[in-house]
Amino acid sequence: MVETKESKTGLLERLRNSIPQEWILSLKAPEPRRIFLSVKREHFKEAMTKMLKDEEITHLSTITGVDLGEEIEVIYHLDKSGTILSVKTTTPKSQPTLPTVTDLIPGAPLYEREVHELLGVAFDGHPDLSRLVLPEGWPPGLYPLRREISIENIRSALEKAKEEKKVG
Amino acid sequence: MVPAEIIEFLSVLIYPGFIFIFTLAFFYEWVDRKFVARLQNRYGPLYAGPGGILQPFADFIKLLAKEDITPRAADKTTFRVTPILMLALALSTLFFIPTAYTTAVSWFEGDLIFVTFLVSILVLITLIAAWSSTSTFSTVGGIRVVLQMLGFEIPMTIVMVGPAIVSKTLSITNIALWQYTTGHYFAIYQPIGLIVLIICLLAEIKKAPFDIPEAESELAAGWITEFSGRKLALIRLTTDVELILAGALVTALFLGGPTGPFGIPSVIFFLIKTTGVILVISNLRALFARFRIDQMLGGFWKYLVPLALLQIILVTLGVG
Amino acid sequence: MDEERVIIPIGPQHPALKEPMNFMLKVEGEKVLEAIPNLGYNHRGIEKAATVRTYIQNLYLAERICGICSIAHVQCYAQGVEKLLEMEIPPRAQYVRLILSELNRLHSHLLWVGVAAHEIGFDTLFMYLWRDREIVMDTLELITGNRVSYGFTMLGGVRRDISPDMAARVKKEMKTVRDRTQYYKKMSSNERSILKRTQGVGILKPQDALALCACGPTLRASNIKWDVRREDPYLAYNEIPFNVVTSDGCDVLSRMIVHYDEVIEATNIIEYALDHMPSGSFREKVTRRIPAGEVVSRVEAPRGEDIHYIKSNGTDKPERFKVRAPTLGNIPAVCKMLSDSYIADVPIILAGIDPCFSCTDRVTFVKGEMGKGWIWTQEELRRYANRWYQQR
Repeated sequence: MVETKESKTGLLERLRNSIPQEWILSLKAPEPRRIFLSVKREHFKEAMTKMLKDEEITHLSTITGVDLGEEIEVIYHLDKSGTILSVKTTTPKSQPTLPTVTDLIPGAPLYEREVHELLGVAFDGHPDLSRLVLPEGWPPGLYPLRREISIENIRSALEKAKEEKKVG
Repeated sequence: MVPAEIIEFLSVLIYPGFIFIFTLAFFYEWVDRKFVARLQNRYGPLYAGPGGILQPFADFIKLLAKEDITPRAADKTTFRVTPILMLALALSTLFFIPTAYTTAVSWFEGDLIFVTFLVSILVLITLIAAWSSTSTFSTVGGIRVVLQMLGFEIPMTIVMVGPAIVSKTLSITNIALWQYTTGHYFAIYQPIGLIVLIICLLAEIKKAPFDIPEAESELAAGWITEFSGRKLALIRLTTDVELILAGALVTALFLGGPTGPFGIPSVIFFLIKTTGVILVISNLRALFARFRIDQMLGGFWKYLVPLALLQIILVTLGVG
Repeated sequence: MDEERVIIPIGPQHPALKEPMNFMLKVEGEKVLEAIPNLGYNHRGIEKAATVRTYIQNLYLAERICGICSIAHVQCYAQGVEKLLEMEIPPRAQYVRLILSELNRLHSHLLWVGVAAHEIGFDTLFMYLWRDREIVMDTLELITGNRVSYGFTMLGGVRRDISPDMAARVKKEMKTVRDRTQYYKKMSSNERSILKRTQGVGILKPQDALALCACGPTLRASNIKWDVRREDPYLAYNEIPFNVVTSDGCDVLSRMIVHYDEVIEATNIIEYALDHMPSGSFREKVTRRIPAGEVVSRVEAPRGEDIHYIKSNGTDKPERFKVRAPTLGNIPAVCKMLSDSYIADVPIILAGIDPCFSCTDRVTFVKGEMGKGWIWTQEELRRYANRWYQQR
């Protein structure tokens, strides 16, 4: 009735073989059609390029940014014939930067801008990291999805920005 | 004995003048709205009066009471004057077309040309109204009105000549009477002309599928965007009068005007015939999607102008 | 020719957009060269808000991400949390949820085709489609008791069962909807004035659709057979036969046809599901505390792939809740469609991806009316308009 899907191990095995061990931090498939691959930051772009090319992946579902405390984790949710391959990498929170993937995936710019705006991750080589979702006049340097920023913080920062605007 | 001047004055003021035309305007707006609503499986006007028949009048009164805003950037004098001018023009055009009686309120040999002229002026006034309000939506809408005129004016004028050639008169009243006396109705003998005229009138009164100047999803309300309150009320009344104008023109030129047998008052025939024409217009309005302005112009020049010319050629060859 | 270029703002308040969104259109003459999107007029900070609410509360928050695809978002969220709990919901609950998802798709698609008809000035079709959408809304009300936010999906199942009476009524209504949609489809693909406005408008080539990560009906109208229900089946979708509808025109007309065909498919799915519903309970109890872990969950919302990422730290509140609504995924695609199009076609192209900006703009916390008012650059549009018409 329904055509059989590529089993989760097929992709998992291929990834295990094609990507050098020393690039990988962890590789697991907790459930069918879900693979989590964690790669080291310095090899992230290489691994991404290789994977996209080897597996002919074109679809990037979205990019998620998670504040882990000391580091910011950025997750790229790729789709390979129904399997979501979540490629994770981390970047230090003090100076969060990552290479852009917009040159590999033309559909990525908006997602990178979103992550940049909400978590302050700078994407090297992104053509235009301007404001996307936050309102104009948002206080610069206030990244609302970071862990230490509470809703109260945002509220007071916005009040302040409003005051300054009135004075100015 | 009432002096003739007073009777004439009353005829302009009441019957078949202003009051009659305004009543008819509201009635036909109701016919149009209700008919389209029923075609679209809606109820349409429902509450004011039986079957909502008073709704257009209620809307008019409501608009009169609304706040009247003049945009700061508008050319104030022109902005104020144009709605009145438009209504006046539409009404005076209607005085040259037979409505309640077999003769028009005023007529002379050559009023057919005068009416075409007035119709064009009406369009130009629309442009001035749009331009004077300076809003972008209005400006683009106004330009579209004129572009649309470039499309419909030529074929419309050509087909209006057809009945004139055959009946050998340039007076709308005489054309209508000629059809009745000879029994030679142009709707039968010049069907192409009738169709072209109705399509052109659809564009002239800016109803779908030629509501391009008012295209809601592109231009808000198009050229009327900035008008409100009393001015909007007048503009809407003008639109309704234009609807009668369209109906009356088709009736006079192609359906023999307000004439008919059995000694029944001519106004009854007028009502029946114009209602028929308006139902056709409403029906077309519900049937099509809106064209793009370039598609509309292209269509008019590619199909309607040749068709209109064909009709005239047929007429000169003695057919029709 | 650089000085010939003019920028026209479309939105955030524009008659063609039912919700606030802003596109800056770079135009030359009447051609649009480039479209630059500007989001964020509808921010409610749902992702941040989710982290201070419990999983149960978030169920209702997820439902309010969007009023039209409410079932899709809540399904995606609930499915994710259930995976964290490592539980399977009862088969009957799966079927009930599936039926609701498809009803959701039905009313959303009918709404969209209606809006599209309105954008091209065909109000009669708009009225007819919305009348028939009412049938679906009534069906949803019959099953859930609500019309928009259903509050029906629960962690571990659904709130109520579908009784045999309801099933009979739903089946009857589905037949009506299907018959009428077939008629509308036939009419839309033959009526000249519709074809004039939709054929060859808003072209998105298959390779562009893939590269720009488009999804849902937009992707399928570019002849790519990709549907989450088929590729990554959830609920009982792998037990139900259905076609993944595609169309090869790549234009607005194809998108219309795909929507019609999906409506027809959805009615078939609902009928099949009602006939094959397993018996048994329709919900299970779940614990309030969710085990630590992370999960990526996705569903095929009416507008395309809807993906949620949930990270749990073992408490009763999620640590991170990320939503990617389908419209955001289609925005690069719509920018591509707008480039090289006519200005009069902008409304229908924008409407073409079935945009839903409430879904898209959900990311961060905005207090009150912080979004700055938009200034209409009147001079720019007037200059543009003058030039456009001078050239004719």
